[in-house]
Amino acid sequence: MLDLLPIFAQQLINGLVLGSIYVLATLGLTLIFGVLGQINFAHADFVTLGAFAAFFVARATGGNYLIAILAALLVGALLGSIINGTVFSPLRNADETRPLVATIGVSVLLENTALAFLGPVPYAFDSPYSSQVIRAAGLFFTVQNLLVVIIAVLAVGSLYAFMKLTFIGKALRALAQDREAAGLMGINQKQLIALTFIIGSAFAGLAGAMLGPILVLTPFAGASVIVKAFAIVIIGGFGNIEGTIVAGLLIGLIESFTAQFLSPGMSDIVVFGLLLLTLAFRPTGLIAERREENV
Amino acid sequence: MTSTSSRWAFGSARWLWLLACIAVIAILPLVFQDSYWRGVMTICAINIMLALGLDFIFGYAGQLSLGHSAFSGIGAYTSTVLVTALGVNFWVAMLCGIGAAGLAGVLLSAFAVRLKGHYLAIASLGFAVITYQILVNWISVTQGPLGIYGIPSPPPLTIPGIVTISFSDQQNFFYLVAGAALLSYLMLRNLTRSPIGDALTAVREDEISAASLGIRGTKWKVVAFGIGCAIAGLAGCFYASFIGTLVPDAFFIVESFMLLAMVVIGGRGNLWGAVLGAVLLTVVPELLRGIGDARLIIYGLALTLVALFLPGGISGVLIQFARRFSGARGALAAKGPSHA
Repeated sequence: MLDLLPIFAQQLINGLVLGSIYVLATLGLTLIFGVLGQINFAHADFVTLGAFAAFFVARATGGNYLIAILAALLVGALLGSIINGTVFSPLRNADETRPLVATIGVSVLLENTALAFLGPVPYAFDSPYSSQVIRAAGLFFTVQNLLVVIIAVLAVGSLYAFMKLTFIGKALRALAQDREAAGLMGINQKQLIALTFIIGSAFAGLAGAMLGPILVLTPFAGASVIVKAFAIVIIGGFGNIEGTIVAGLLIGLIESFTAQFLSPGMSDIVVFGLLLLTLAFRPTGLIAERREENV
Repeated sequence: MTSTSSRWAFGSARWLWLLACIAVIAILPLVFQDSYWRGVMTICAINIMLALGLDFIFGYAGQLSLGHSAFSGIGAYTSTVLVTALGVNFWVAMLCGIGAAGLAGVLLSAFAVRLKGHYLAIASLGFAVITYQILVNWISVTQGPLGIYGIPSPPPLTIPGIVTISFSDQQNFFYLVAGAALLSYLMLRNLTRSPIGDALTAVREDEISAASLGIRGTKWKVVAFGIGCAIAGLAGCFYASFIGTLVPDAFFIVESFMLLAMVVIGGRGNLWGAVLGAVLLTVVPELLRGIGDARLIIYGLALTLVALFLPGGISGVLIQFARRFSGARGALAAKGPSHA
């Protein structure tokens, strides 16, 4: 029993770090779904490309991790802007499966182009903070882990402030509630949707910069997270930001605890079992948000 | 009189098409004698079956499934484990594989059918991930990532006193799979033209209006999902005994995306479009083998471009051309009498 407590606390820390990355990686998906009702399947590859952008910038600047984070943010924002302009904007009024299918194509394309240029061998992304270890009360975690959690809290906090306090944030919330009515009130949908893509995808890039030094960095780094990201978005309730944050942390914890107490292979089964259970019993997510549907 | 003759002509055209298909299947292995291309042709026939099933689910019943390869995996592993571990006869095991895949499809669909659009897509994706992880982790049955090796080809079929057909022969195996693909096509085509097909189309286009006409959308969607998955299960059985080894990676999510690409590029909601897509996306990458691992890059690019610019896929473009052509002919025919 004495041995169990430190293990438990250690897994709690690991789970929160992983969960923070998941929250960053999935917030964009949820934001975009909330406003547009659409899924960007290539979102995960924005995470990967953000991670590689951070890696190469860090190498070029001699290990300046903070500039690398900024670069990942910018790359994510740029990719979001591009995918909106090339796929979602032209297909605004098309059958709802077309943008999803198109972005599945973009995802396969990006992953394999990255594979052709970068190769399958994992890159060693050494953040200067990965080697600094903090030991306290029999637990240990790196400064990088701490940084991940701090940045996630900052990012989510500023998103909240933006949504609740600014006029544009208010307009975005209006758009998510009822696109038509918001349009009638003189809200410029096109610009706001573009902005949503930029913000959401910048979060994906940021997640990449955080994930790079912690997980294995390959062209499929994001793809390994994305399927879980969908599970998180559904468990949290599509388009529900609070739900996504809770579900992201929950999945991170579940994953680190199943890896410790069952086996690493079981974590996917547990996570996706939870996904199917959520779909069966609470399709609107764990934190339900009432949504009326028009006939 | 004109109407009867045209109906007769339509009927005979159908028979001619069928005969032409049978002739092409019969001749193909005679034209391509080397085992490499015969192998490609067999894989192509397997992919046609998978694409047909997915097109029935996605194109006709309007349910976007992102986990179709999981059902082929269920069929493949069920039949293979029955044959290799329990010594069950291949044909019996094959029926079990079809049944298991169909049942899994019905179960997933029965609860996912209440979900709309993207929820079903994600649920099917989740199902595919769980299936994959079970195949990897249930080592005592599936051998895990190491895979099952030395899977025998189907036992010879003997018609007493007449002939014995051995399926270790590549040509005969191709005939078996191509025949199954042709039968799947005919069955699905008849289904789509039956009242069931009309019900599915009505549900896909407008579920609420269909319900007001007394069509139970959920029931037919589940049926369609089950049928599509059962065909995938059969394709999986053939795949396992053709390749001879079975690893979970053969049924990973990206394989489902390939199948989706076949259906979308060929043109969803058009069975022959699915056939066209499967043939194109199996054969063209083989022809381009020289450029290395660019297969998936081509798939991704083609899927994106077609989804963006050709909502009807290649078959949609062909149909438009045919209409324009027959329209021009019709205009000429209409001109004819006034000319005379």
